This record gives sequence, C-alpha cells and structure tokens, in this order.
Amino acid sequence: MAKIISTHSFRGGTGKSNTTANLAVLAARAGHRVGIIDTDIQSPGIHVLFRLGPGDFRYSLNDYLWGKCRIEEAACDVTTRSIGQVDEDADRPRLFVIPSSLKTGEIARILREGYDVGRLNDGLQDLLKRLRLDYLFIDTHPGVNEETLLSIAVSDLLILIVRPDQQDFQGTAVTVELARKLDVPEMFLLINKVPTGMDVVALGEQVQSMYQAEVAAILPLCNEMVRTASSDIFCNRYPDHPLTNELAAVTARIVGANP
Amino acid sequence: MSGTTRPDEIDLLIGKMKTAAAPLREVLREIHARHAAVDEGQVADYIPELAKADPHWFGLALATSDGQVIEVGDCRQLFTIQSISKPFVFGLALEDHGLEHVLSKVGVEPTGEAFNAIVLDEASNRPFNPMVNAGAIATADLIKGRDFPERVTRLLAMFSRFCGRDVYIDNAVFMSERLTGHRNRAIGHLMLNFGMVGERIADSLELYFQQCSVLVNCRDLAVMGATLANGGVNPLTGQRAIEQSYVKYLLSIMLSCGMYDYAGEWAYRVGIPSKSGVGGGIVGVIPNQFGIGTFSPPLDRKGNSVRGILACQELSHRFGLHAFESGFSGPTLRDLLAPPRQGDLR
Repeated sequence: MAKIISTHSFRGGTGKSNTTANLAVLAARAGHRVGIIDTDIQSPGIHVLFRLGPGDFRYSLNDYLWGKCRIEEAACDVTTRSIGQVDEDADRPRLFVIPSSLKTGEIARILREGYDVGRLNDGLQDLLKRLRLDYLFIDTHPGVNEETLLSIAVSDLLILIVRPDQQDFQGTAVTVELARKLDVPEMFLLINKVPTGMDVVALGEQVQSMYQAEVAAILPLCNEMVRTASSDIFCNRYPDHPLTNELAAVTARIVGANP
Repeated sequence: MSGTTRPDEIDLLIGKMKTAAAPLREVLREIHARHAAVDEGQVADYIPELAKADPHWFGLALATSDGQVIEVGDCRQLFTIQSISKPFVFGLALEDHGLEHVLSKVGVEPTGEAFNAIVLDEASNRPFNPMVNAGAIATADLIKGRDFPERVTRLLAMFSRFCGRDVYIDNAVFMSERLTGHRNRAIGHLMLNFGMVGERIADSLELYFQQCSVLVNCRDLAVMGATLANGGVNPLTGQRAIEQSYVKYLLSIMLSCGMYDYAGEWAYRVGIPSKSGVGGGIVGVIPNQFGIGTFSPPLDRKGNSVRGILACQELSHRFGLHAFESGFSGPTLRDLLAPPRQGDLR
C-alpha cells in the first residue's frame, strides 16, 4: 500500500520544505517510487530545492485544480537531477515533483476563487495510482488552511516540524488538536534548527509531554544548511554530515515500516 | 483561521475535510467514470431549449443528512428541474391544506399511463397521483397566495429552502413551456370541467410552467434529497423546508410513482424513493442517511436519465440502499464515509 506523508509546521521558516525534500530524496535513494507535491499554493517553494524554473514544467498543481490537465501531467521526473546515476528505464528509484504555479496571476486566482478540495484529494489518489508511487510527500502551507487540513485528513503519517521557540510551540498545539480531530493514524514531531549548547534531552521530553506526541528526531541548526540556502538538496551535498544521518534515520522510520 | 472561529465552524471544516478525504469519493468517481462511458439515450427535444443540453454532461452528487456533500463530474451545471419539482410542490400543497383536502383533489395511485395522459379517475374525477402532469397541475392549483406573483414567490422560496440557496426560473424554458403547453392546458380545462380545479386554472397552469423551469444543479438535487432524508430540515442551512410529518408522504409517492412508467420496476429493482425529470436530473432519498443527485441529459424511452438510472442502480445494489433491504452484509455508504483509520495515534 502506498503511503501519504504530510509535513507541516504552524509557522514559516521551520525548514519544512528542506526537510520534506531531503526525506523524499532519501526515501527514493532507498529504492522507492516517491512523489513530492507542493500544496503550498500561496507560497510555493519546493521547486527551488530541485532547481525547477517556470520553464521546466508545463503544468502545475493549479492547472490540475482548474481542470486544465491530469495531475500526472504536472509531475516532473527529477530522478536524475536529484539522485544521479539511474537507468532511464528503471522502475525504482524514481522521484517526481509536482510543483505549484510560480505565476503571480495564477496564485492570486486560486486565492480569489478557491477550488474544490475534493478535487485535490482526487489528484492525490490519482498520483498514487498513475505514477505507481510507494510514498507521496505533501509539503503544506504553514498555518492552517484548507489544503493543510485536507492533507492531514488523507495522510497516513503527519510530521510536524517545530523550532525550539515559544511561538512554534503554541501554534503547533493547534495543529496537533486538529490532527487528532481528523483521526490521522500516525503523527510525530521533528524539532529543527536546535542551536548548539541546548539540552536536547530536556527539550525532547518537554515537547513530547506538551503534545503527548513522539519526538522522532532533534535536528541541529547547522551552518552548512544555512549556507546551502535552499539552492540544493542538503543530503546530496553533504552525504556524510551528521544531519544527513539523522534525516536518514527518520526516513528509515517512514519507509522501514512499509517496505 | 482567526482566533474568533467558533467550535462548530471548526467541526464543519473538519467534517468537510473528512468527506473530501473519504474513500466514498473514490467509489463515486469510479461509478461516475464507468457510466460516463455509456453512450445511449436521447436528449429531450420537445422544446428547443432542452435540446441544447450537452449529452456528455454527467454529474453525481451525494449529500449526507448531516450536511456533507460529495460531488463528482458536472455537479454545478444548471438545468431545469422539470418533473422533479412535482413532489416538492405536492409537499407545499400539503402544508397549505393538510392531507385530507389535498387527497380530495389528487389521488396517490400509481398509473400505467404516460405522464402526460389526459385521463382522470372515473369514480372521483381526481388525477391518479401528483407525479403525472394532471396531478401536478391540480397540485399547483392548490398553492396558496393572494395573487399570482405571491404564489410564484412562495414556490421559489420553498425550492430555495430545499436547495439552501436562492433559485431562479429559466425564462427561455418557461416561455417555451407555456407556448407549447397545449396538452397541459387541455388537462387543466378537463379538470375545470369536472370542478376539480378553480377558476384560476389559467394562473395555476402558469405556475406549473414556472415550477418546471426552476434552475437547479446536481448538487442542489443531492441537498434537496438530503433535506428530505433529514426529516425536512436542510442540513446545510439548518432551515426547515417542509414539516416533518409530511416527508413520508412525499417519499412514498416518489417510491411508487416517481420514475414515470418505469416506477413499478424501479421500486422493485432499485427501491430508492426517487423522482426524475426530462432535464436529465434524478433526486433520490435514503431516509435518515443521504440524498442522491444525478444529472445527465440523455434519456431512455420512458423519459429517465440513462446514466442516472445506472448510477442509482449500482449504488443501490452495492450498498444495500433498497428500501426493503434487510440483513445486508456488505459495506454501507456510511462505512465508506467515515472509515475506521488504522494505526495508533501517538
């Protein structure tokens, strides 16, 4: 069975898109067919990490929601550019990115007119089937909106990303409550951008008891990530970095339970 | 989402998302895709406005009695309600006059005659039932109001309560209906001859042509069905559209007479109280559970939407929706709407 994983953070700047992209690349490297869809229609960003410009894709998620294309037509195969040496015909690994539109007018139109959330779910289900995905990662908009709630509602796993920051902590409580109302089967937290010198054991325990939800990893704030500045996939550039190892452990948890 | 969001708004939003994510959506898409491929039937062409419909249009919508709506296909395309208006206007007549008076003017017996037959019950001079044209005209004649505009306003207000939005008349269809409605005028005058309708029959015929020309979409039909399924209260607006005690009288007449001269076989095979119209719509009601709306203009020889019939039939068989189904062991629509989700919530 294919698995849908949503990553979410209540506020921007938590490293959500970076983390999602890295988890997806690592999952693909582990030999799976993986998709990432950018449902952050208002402020799309995942394309940047895969260096996709407006000229690299003909259709976006917006086009699908307007009925201009089938969802799989909006999928860009980024296997070669993000994983490297893979046989053209190989079934696995394979990595697809489904971007949101980068055009101001199209972003404005979706915000103005809205769309049928049921159709978004149809698109997610069609992606799983038509691209024969093992895993579909959904990069959601920060905060709570319809795309986010739908993503949580259809997910098998929800990953919440927080920084060690009181505003993040309070906002995340809202998401946790909504996720429980939506009966998401599995949920865990990643604490990201933790500065050196912080007592990570105490932090982990604090967050865990705050939400009654597991903290799967505590990821350090590192200069290399900051310097990469979302121009590349971190785990590709720094394959032996401790952060890459931590992300690989999280990936193993996601794909390990569902080989 | 602002800090002022009320808890019930959150529940509504959560419900909407659960419905959008429900496996039932996939099932409806699959049913829709299969029957969309069916290429049979003829679009009604007795007036030019109806003949303009695209034969590919096909919508399938389901609304729960607690207000969740699933729409697949062309669910927002407007079309004229036509005969689907009949049970609803019958409901308004019941509210205006009570059961006994209404039954003295129109019967509730199924008839094997065509819907537009010029025939009355010989013993009582009543039309056989409110779903044939004669009965629907007699029913329209019962709608109260100081004058004609007020009667139209009350009629539209009733449909608006059922749909949960303001509805309007398609003027081109209305004009065509009244220009070509000679047969219906003949029926009206026959009833006038027998004293079954009053002197205002000319107005009542106009009202009847108006009621047939109300514009709805497939989603509206599902919501109208869900309102009946919910004891007469529109589950989207919380507004009462008809008195609870009359709902059963609408549903029983829909089950026995709702599908033109296919009604008997429909009650037997499908068993869902339903009403179809030559505009291509069908409304179905699963009491206490769901309203079903289908829309596809190509009609079979009895005047029912071909794809609509197939979709309702499949829903009924797969999910045990027949009114007299008992001991059904398969999955129900409800199971697919809110499935137990696997896994432990940590």
